[in-house]
Amino acid sequence: MEVISTKNLKKDYQAGGFSKEKITALKNFSFNVNQGDIFGLLGPNGAGKTTLVKILLGIVYPTEGEVSIFGESIKNEKYKNKIGYLPENHKFPNYLSGEQVLHYFGMLSGLTSTEVKSRSDEYLRIVDMEKWKKTKIKKYSKGMMQRLGIAQAMINEPELIFLDEPTDGVDPIGRKEIRDILLALKDKGKTIFLNSHLLSEIELMCNKVAILNKGELIKEGTIDEITSSGNNYMFTTSDLSDDVINILLSQYFASVHGKNEFIVNTDSTEKLNNIIDILRKNNILILSFFKEKNSLENMFINLIGSQN
Amino acid sequence: MIFKTLISGVIREAIAKKVFLGFFILSTLILLGFFIFLNTDSVTGVATMAGDDINQFVLGSEIFILNVSYLLLITFCLIGVSSIIPSMLEKGNIDLMLSKPISRAKIILGKFTGGVLLIFVSLVYLLGAVWLMVSFKFGYWNASVLSSIFILTFSFAVIYSLVIFIGVMTQSSVLSIIINIFLIFLICPFLASRETVLFQFITNNVAQFIINFFYYILPKPGDLQTITTHIINKENIPSWQPVLTSALFLITFLSASIYFFKKKDY
Repeated sequence: MEVISTKNLKKDYQAGGFSKEKITALKNFSFNVNQGDIFGLLGPNGAGKTTLVKILLGIVYPTEGEVSIFGESIKNEKYKNKIGYLPENHKFPNYLSGEQVLHYFGMLSGLTSTEVKSRSDEYLRIVDMEKWKKTKIKKYSKGMMQRLGIAQAMINEPELIFLDEPTDGVDPIGRKEIRDILLALKDKGKTIFLNSHLLSEIELMCNKVAILNKGELIKEGTIDEITSSGNNYMFTTSDLSDDVINILLSQYFASVHGKNEFIVNTDSTEKLNNIIDILRKNNILILSFFKEKNSLENMFINLIGSQN
Repeated sequence: MIFKTLISGVIREAIAKKVFLGFFILSTLILLGFFIFLNTDSVTGVATMAGDDINQFVLGSEIFILNVSYLLLITFCLIGVSSIIPSMLEKGNIDLMLSKPISRAKIILGKFTGGVLLIFVSLVYLLGAVWLMVSFKFGYWNASVLSSIFILTFSFAVIYSLVIFIGVMTQSSVLSIIINIFLIFLICPFLASRETVLFQFITNNVAQFIINFFYYILPKPGDLQTITTHIINKENIPSWQPVLTSALFLITFLSASIYFFKKKDY
């Protein structure tokens, strides 16, 4: 089931002042997010990521195009009952305690006071903030604010959660805990829309990714699809003899690196098996053998670099 | 329930900013001072000598406190509420607010109602206590004083609608305070004196028309105060025009605030 769907989305901003010049933040942007996905949105600064999230949340209006969430147009605010959002650099009223923040935003999400009370302890426990619930948030650290922000985004038990840089300012242990929370939410069938600069984090959490640059969608797919570098198979072996190296070079056009490593590009399972047979016949041990993948970071840098 | 939360949010924010705490402390000091004043020998003496004219003395005291509280109200409340909209529109705050299932119109109306309610409670405390003190002391219970609470609240609501409009358009609380003080203490009294003072010097019809035009479209805090005095003195109100035109001002600026707030990207 499609949870988010956009069609030919476009957003122009006025350049400012009395200028008639327009800045296009999004161009002809169409994409879908399915239920249960952890969807990662990537792009350099100014790519249009925040504009996209704000359009989906009704904070910014699109110039052209269609947006539907849960199959309905976003013109009706009711869809926000099923949404949780953690903005980047969020500002909660600093005169409130953690517990009061959850109460205030829970009530604004349409919950009753009883519902908020029954849920706030649970969510504060999940984000490990229970013992700080009575403390005014002006005394909180950045990491604590992020944890509280995540609890706030979950308080109305939303079907779809938008998280903008959720691990910003959080230490590595805290990041791992946040990842575990998000994965637990995915297991419950929730859809998560993640906007993060930390590519390793996106790689660890997301099953689908979209890459934006200059307001355009330049790549979309699963992490495997995006990071796949074709049909390159990498072998690590014990010392290769000169004869074997010659066979690999002449018959399989392998790229050999030293005496213990070579890469073969093929989509034939039969060829791969033949190579394994040759290695075994020559008493060469296969230490590892895998289909080569790009890291998300390498792929991202190459892709954005080639565009710019 | 959401609307109630918005209102309580405004009250909580105002309390946290301590401006209203200042208002309550000052009001309490005025009340204490007034209580001491009422119990001085000279006041008791005046009350004894006044005999049947004691009612006039009571009314005079009440009007005096009303005027003092009006000045207090304008100063404290303007400072207290002028930052409500700009702080809501700050990045990271407005995003969160607009992601909730609340219409933008409801947000503005919630902020407006919260501010007005806050002033109403403050006035009930100050004027209600003065009324009780004076009435107990002299045994003259003039309930019409209490109606001044509503007129003053309305007077504030008119100004607050402009505060909200400036907040939505410029996100500046300082500008809001400056414009309102300029309007309330300079422009409006200046326009209100048009028939008694200005038109003695300005005889040109076009100029008089322009002055009249601005007088009618702008709020009239001074005239509303005069109406309150008439009510306390149980006199006939010469004209309800200031109330009607001020109400029109309120509706116009509140509607414009909602319109622009609905249109804007944040």
